[in-house]
Amino acid sequence: MTMIAAPGPAMRRPAPPERWLRGYGRMAAWDIASLRLYLPVLSCVLILQGAGFVYGMGLLFADMPQSAAVFVSTGAPVMNLITVGLIFEPQLVAQQRMQGSYEFLQALPVPRSAAALAWYTVALATALPPVVLTLLAGLARYHLHLAITPMVIPAVLLTCLTGVLMGLAVAHGVTQPMAANLISVTLIFVMTGFSPVNFPAGQLPGWLASVNQWLPFGSMATITRSALVPGFADGVPRAYAVVAAWAAASALVVAWAQGRRG
Amino acid sequence: MVTIAFPIRRGPGHWAASYAAMLRFDLAAQRNLLPMFLLMQVMFGAGMAIIYGFYLGHLPRGAAVFIVSGSPALAVMTAGIIGVTMMVTERQLGGTWDFIWSLPAPRSAAVASTVTVFTLLALPGIVVTLALADWRYGITLTVSPMAVPALLLSSLMATSVGFGLALLIARPVVTNALVNALIFIVLIFSPVQFPISRLPLWLADVHRVLPVYYLAEVLRASVTRGLVHDTALAYGVLGAWTLASWAATAWVVGRRR
Repeated sequence: MTMIAAPGPAMRRPAPPERWLRGYGRMAAWDIASLRLYLPVLSCVLILQGAGFVYGMGLLFADMPQSAAVFVSTGAPVMNLITVGLIFEPQLVAQQRMQGSYEFLQALPVPRSAAALAWYTVALATALPPVVLTLLAGLARYHLHLAITPMVIPAVLLTCLTGVLMGLAVAHGVTQPMAANLISVTLIFVMTGFSPVNFPAGQLPGWLASVNQWLPFGSMATITRSALVPGFADGVPRAYAVVAAWAAASALVVAWAQGRRG
Repeated sequence: MVTIAFPIRRGPGHWAASYAAMLRFDLAAQRNLLPMFLLMQVMFGAGMAIIYGFYLGHLPRGAAVFIVSGSPALAVMTAGIIGVTMMVTERQLGGTWDFIWSLPAPRSAAVASTVTVFTLLALPGIVVTLALADWRYGITLTVSPMAVPALLLSSLMATSVGFGLALLIARPVVTNALVNALIFIVLIFSPVQFPISRLPLWLADVHRVLPVYYLAEVLRASVTRGLVHDTALAYGVLGAWTLASWAATAWVVGRRR
C-alpha cells in the first residue's frame, strides 16, 4: 500500500520565482477569461458612476464654488479605484460561494499571493479607463486645470491596491455571501458620504473628521488629489502611511482567512 | 391502472392562504439577511439626508426641508429596487429560485409576499430619517394620512422595477452591477432631493415623463405642506406608470421557459 502524506510545515516553502510568475500569469488569464463578459459591463458602470457623480453633484449647488468642483472632480476618480476592489470582488466571491466553485478555485495549485496580485492587475486595468474619463468629465464640466505630477502613479497604484485588498479581506473573511455584499455596500456608502473624499474634512463634524484621520478613504483621496492639484491637500506623507497600513492589515486578514480550515 | 385526480385549487381563499404561507416563507428564509438590510435602509434613507449637508457645507432651511422630505423616496427606491434584486439574484445563484417558483402557490401570491416584505422594510428608514432631520437640522415633518397610499403606490412602482430587472437579465452578477449603476444614476440625476428647476431643460422634460420625480413628489406631499403644487398629477402619473410596469413584470413573472 502506498501512502501519500500531506506536506508538513518543513516541506511548505515559498514558491520559486518562475513558478510564482507562471501562477500569476495563469490566474490573470483565468480572471480575464471567466469575467470576459462582466469586465466591459463593470467598466461602463464605473464610467457612469464616476462621470455621473461629477455632473450630478453640480445639480446640488445653486452656484458651485470652484473649490467644491475641484474636490468632486478629483474625488470621483478615487471612488472608481476603490469601488472596483471593494464592491465587485466581494460580489464575485459571493457568487462563487453560492455556485459552489469557491473551494475549487481556492484549491488551485497557485500561490495565493500570485492569485491576489493577478486580480489586482485585472482590477487596475479595468478601473484605469473610467478613472481617466471621470477626470476628463470633471475638467470639461467645471473648466478646471490640473497640474499632474509623477506622484499620481504611486498614488493610483496604492489606492487601487488597498481597495482590492480590503475587498479581498471582506470577500474571504466573511463567509456569508449576502453579509459580505452588505458590508462592502456599507463601506462604499461610508466612503461616499462620511469620508472627506469629495468634500473637505472641515465640512464634517469634528469627531467624524478625527475618526477619518485613521480611516483609509480620506487619505486615499489626499494622496491622489495632491498629485493632481499640488498644494490642494496637506498631510500627504501621513496619508501615504495610513493607506499603506490599511493595505498591510487587509493583506494579513486575507492571509488568515484563506489559511483557515473549516 | 390507478387514476389519481388532483383538484386544482383556485379562488380568493386559496390565494390568501398561499400569500400568508409565502409571507412566512420569505420572512423565515430572509431572517438572517433582514436585519442587515434594515440597517442598509436606515443608512440610505437617513444617511443621504445628512450626507448632502456635508457636501453643501452651509444648508439653508428651505434646502434642508427639501432634502429631508425627499429621503423617504430614497428609502422606498432602494428597498424596492436593490432589495428585491438582491433577494432574487441570491436565490438564482443558490439554485433555489426555480424551486420556489414551482411551489404550489400562485406566482402573484409569491410576488405579493415579496412586495409586502420590502414595503415594510422601507418604513424604518423613513422613520429614522424624520427623527434624524429633527435632530440634525431642527426640522419637524409631520406625516399625514396620505403617507399610506403614497408609500404603497411608491413601493409597488419600485418593486416592479426590481422584479422586472432581476427576472429579465439572465446573469445575476450583471444584474447586480446594472442595478447598482441604475440606482446611482436615479439618485444623482433625479429631482428627488433638489428642485426639478435645477436640471437642464431637456432632463427636466424627461423627468416630467418618467415616474421617479412623481414618486418623490407623492411622498414629499405626505410629509410637507406647500412644497408640492400638483399632487393629483403626481398620483395620476405614478399610478399609470405603476400599472404599466406591473403589466410588463406580470408578463415576465408568468412566463414558462
